[in-house]
Amino acid sequence: MHYRVILRILGLLLMIFSTTMLPSVAVSWWYGDGAAAAFLQGFALTLATGLVLWLPVARHRGELRIRDGFLIVVLFWSVLGSFGALPLMLGQDPHMSLTDAVFESISGLTTTGATVIVGLDQLPQSILYYRQQLQWLGGMGIIVLAVAILPMLGIGGMQLYRAEMPGPVKDSKLTPRIAETAKALWYIYLSLTVLCALAYWAAGMSLFDAIGHSFSTVAIGGFSTHDASMGHFNSALMEMIAVVFILLSGANFALHFTAWRHRTLTGYWRDPEFRAYLFILAAAALVATVYLYLSGTFASFGSALHHGIFQAVSIGTTTGFTTADYFNWPGFLPVMLLFMSFIGGCAASTAGGMKVIRVLLLFRQGAREIRRLIHPTAMIPIKLGGKVLPDRVMDAVWGFFAAYVAAYTLMLLILMATGLDQITAFSAVAACMNNMGPGLGEVGAHYGELNNVAKWVLCFAMLLGRLEVFSILVLLTPAFWRR
Amino acid sequence: MPIAVTPPHDIERWARYRLILRVLGQLLMALSLALIIPMAISIGYGDGELAHFLTAFGLTFGAGAILWLAGRGVTAELRTRDGFLVVSLFWLVLGALSGLPFILGPHLSFTDSLFEAVSAFTTTGATVIVGLDRLPASILWYRQQLQWLGGMGIIVLGVAVLPMLGIGGMQLYRAETPGPMKDEKLAPRIADTARFLWLLYLGLTLGCAAGYRLAGMSLFDAIGHSFATVSTGGFSTHDASMAYFHSPLAETVAIVFMLLGGMNFAVHYQVVRGRDPRAWLRDVEVRTFVSVTAAVTAATALTLWLRGAYPDPVTALRDAAFQVASVITSTGFTTTDFSLWPLFLPLLLMLISFVGGCGGSTAGGMKVMRFVLLFQQSRREVRRLIYPRAIVPVKIGGRVVDQRIIRSVWGFFAVYMTLFVLLMLGLMATGLDQVTAFGAIATCMNNLGPGLGEVARNFTTVNPVAKWLCTLAMLLGRLEIFTLLVLLSPAYWRR
Repeated sequence: MHYRVILRILGLLLMIFSTTMLPSVAVSWWYGDGAAAAFLQGFALTLATGLVLWLPVARHRGELRIRDGFLIVVLFWSVLGSFGALPLMLGQDPHMSLTDAVFESISGLTTTGATVIVGLDQLPQSILYYRQQLQWLGGMGIIVLAVAILPMLGIGGMQLYRAEMPGPVKDSKLTPRIAETAKALWYIYLSLTVLCALAYWAAGMSLFDAIGHSFSTVAIGGFSTHDASMGHFNSALMEMIAVVFILLSGANFALHFTAWRHRTLTGYWRDPEFRAYLFILAAAALVATVYLYLSGTFASFGSALHHGIFQAVSIGTTTGFTTADYFNWPGFLPVMLLFMSFIGGCAASTAGGMKVIRVLLLFRQGAREIRRLIHPTAMIPIKLGGKVLPDRVMDAVWGFFAAYVAAYTLMLLILMATGLDQITAFSAVAACMNNMGPGLGEVGAHYGELNNVAKWVLCFAMLLGRLEVFSILVLLTPAFWRR
Repeated sequence: MPIAVTPPHDIERWARYRLILRVLGQLLMALSLALIIPMAISIGYGDGELAHFLTAFGLTFGAGAILWLAGRGVTAELRTRDGFLVVSLFWLVLGALSGLPFILGPHLSFTDSLFEAVSAFTTTGATVIVGLDRLPASILWYRQQLQWLGGMGIIVLGVAVLPMLGIGGMQLYRAETPGPMKDEKLAPRIADTARFLWLLYLGLTLGCAAGYRLAGMSLFDAIGHSFATVSTGGFSTHDASMAYFHSPLAETVAIVFMLLGGMNFAVHYQVVRGRDPRAWLRDVEVRTFVSVTAAVTAATALTLWLRGAYPDPVTALRDAAFQVASVITSTGFTTTDFSLWPLFLPLLLMLISFVGGCGGSTAGGMKVMRFVLLFQQSRREVRRLIYPRAIVPVKIGGRVVDQRIIRSVWGFFAVYMTLFVLLMLGLMATGLDQVTAFGAIATCMNNLGPGLGEVARNFTTVNPVAKWLCTLAMLLGRLEIFTLLVLLSPAYWRR
């Protein structure tokens, strides 16, 4: 383990991260909301800690190995998540407890979008901006994580994407490759954000809301500057803009990269994952719309349609914006949508959940099992887009699935042990682990009422889901720390 | 004009279908003979059900005879693949016809009688009848006997048929199946295996009945409950289930025989044949099964005591031990309503029913062996992340497990989960609340019996559509899902 190199990187990251509190200071001065001091203190503390970590090892040079990636990735999210909580704790309004502030900050950085705050509309503008920005930064991290790091680490079958990564592939050293990839993808990310903000603005949002919501839309986060979330604007046009940009951000960013590099859109349609992704969401939207209309939840077919589409896309991709109290919708719809969030978006996107590609592979493998029962001696390879998949990838996907289900069940039981009822616990863990946001029951609107132990468990769930379970599991094995 | 000629392999296929009909007819006629015992009981107790049982006997025997005649004189050999169809038809048709006495006697609707019969035959133990204590003795006996017969079918299914079909990694057990191994033909092997195992099953039942009798049950209750214990079914002759007897001794007998019923019968066979109880210890699955049961019991008893649900640790342990053994073996006897236990305990119990008993037992659920394999494989995945180039085989009891078996287990696990979620959503669409729907599908698919919420004690208040879905769930769970799924794929019917 190259602890000194890791410390240096962590110090650097903290120093860079500290500067992201400065835009909020500017916002605070612009609006004169009096929260600037909290951000300045947060900035100073984070910068100082970063310096303290960085200075002693600043001159140390060493190559990172792929294995060190696990530790860096976990530290990145947990340490930045903790420091991101500072401005929320230090201010006068809101003056949040340690637990609440960390929950909110991790929920932001993992682009979950679960909140413990009620009364968003009365918060200082700078705090609101800061929350949105946290999600946007989290999204940036996730893209690099998903496109460059996870395939390299080979977590849950993601080695599948090794060949498709932009950037110099042959190079097995960690740093130069990631920098290269990151630059290309962040341009795409930034352009999507700018386009989304302009569209929101043109549709009638204030500039502040437009930028804020574009941040949480493209990051598939789901934080809003209003308690009523997207429902505040009551505009079908804005909802459809959100749907478009959510769909784009939930797609594999490597696809965007190819489309941009080669100026062609055919890559999207040729990608089996992208097709399955659209198909699943369309099916969910159809079921939701028809059921909403038939059950009379919405009077006109038009409103059933746009609420159905918006909510299916928002929950299915794990964004978590809401236009209506979806958790009060009749029958199986809320639970169905919650289960959809387990599928989530495409790999190498900002979305959460288990990812469409894995579900697609599990489905193919299930179908193969049936064929094997009929023809026991047949060799039936699993193909994706015409290429035969190595068995090792399949094994990794299965391991991922089982670990995901096991971790989910365990946290569900722990949450119930803290006194939550089954529906609340069931949905809270699902919403957090899939990085989605709003749950059912007690946590339908926000997570403010939960006890502290439950909040910490859910923080862990958000990290676990975001880091694809295995990054954290690996750190828990003694073998990782040996040598 | 060309003359349409049926190709030879098509003729052969129809011959095999007729043969399957004949087998089914024979089974039906054999089953109808089992109705003679409740008739005798009806005469002995004078409860007036004789006519109903006679009618049911006539109809079942008649249906069997017709099927048998339809397939008479066919000379064809069943192939392994035909096993899927035979097994599915066996449970479907026998489940449907076994409901007759419930329609004729206590006047259950068709839906209810089918639910009750399938629940009995799959040894689930979920019931739609309240007021068991006032039912005619012969009907009560009949319910218990159905579970016992179901258990007989399941052992053969679990020990001989499923390993041969290779469903969900069960080919793992192929080597352990007693009986002539080399023989590839379906019928002789199954008959041989069945004979060994049924003797064992009968022995366990007699032992259990004797234990109950000594613990103070009436002879009727002792035999009736021994049927439902060894088959891990869970039907009782009283509404209060095991709580009716207020007897720690009877509960202990139940725990012992439920656990025995939840272990692989092939291992029991080794113990009896070799006079060597160490065979139990040598078996990885049995060891895991017992330690999981012990661990969950300890956790449950501790939580119950610490939360003050029980005044003293001893009563907490008594109810915890009984309830955990009953649920993990998917029996479903109750001494207390565990759905009212505090915190996570109701859900925990529901979840361990997914683990279930060992393969080749009468228990339901996904089976301990599959979880052992899943766990080993997940651990291997973590090791592979640290050492990407290492070759790490998955081993069970010192032997390397074939990759193909592990992949079958994965497929099984994923399909089980998917169907669980779909059926649960289906149940919610019929208007059930989330907790009830979750409990109902879990309990039916794992062949357990009691659920959560509305279905904690029985399924009487549930709507008919939900009952049909639950009936389907029981069959899916019992037939290890793939048996039915295979029949739905067009490829199965080709050639």
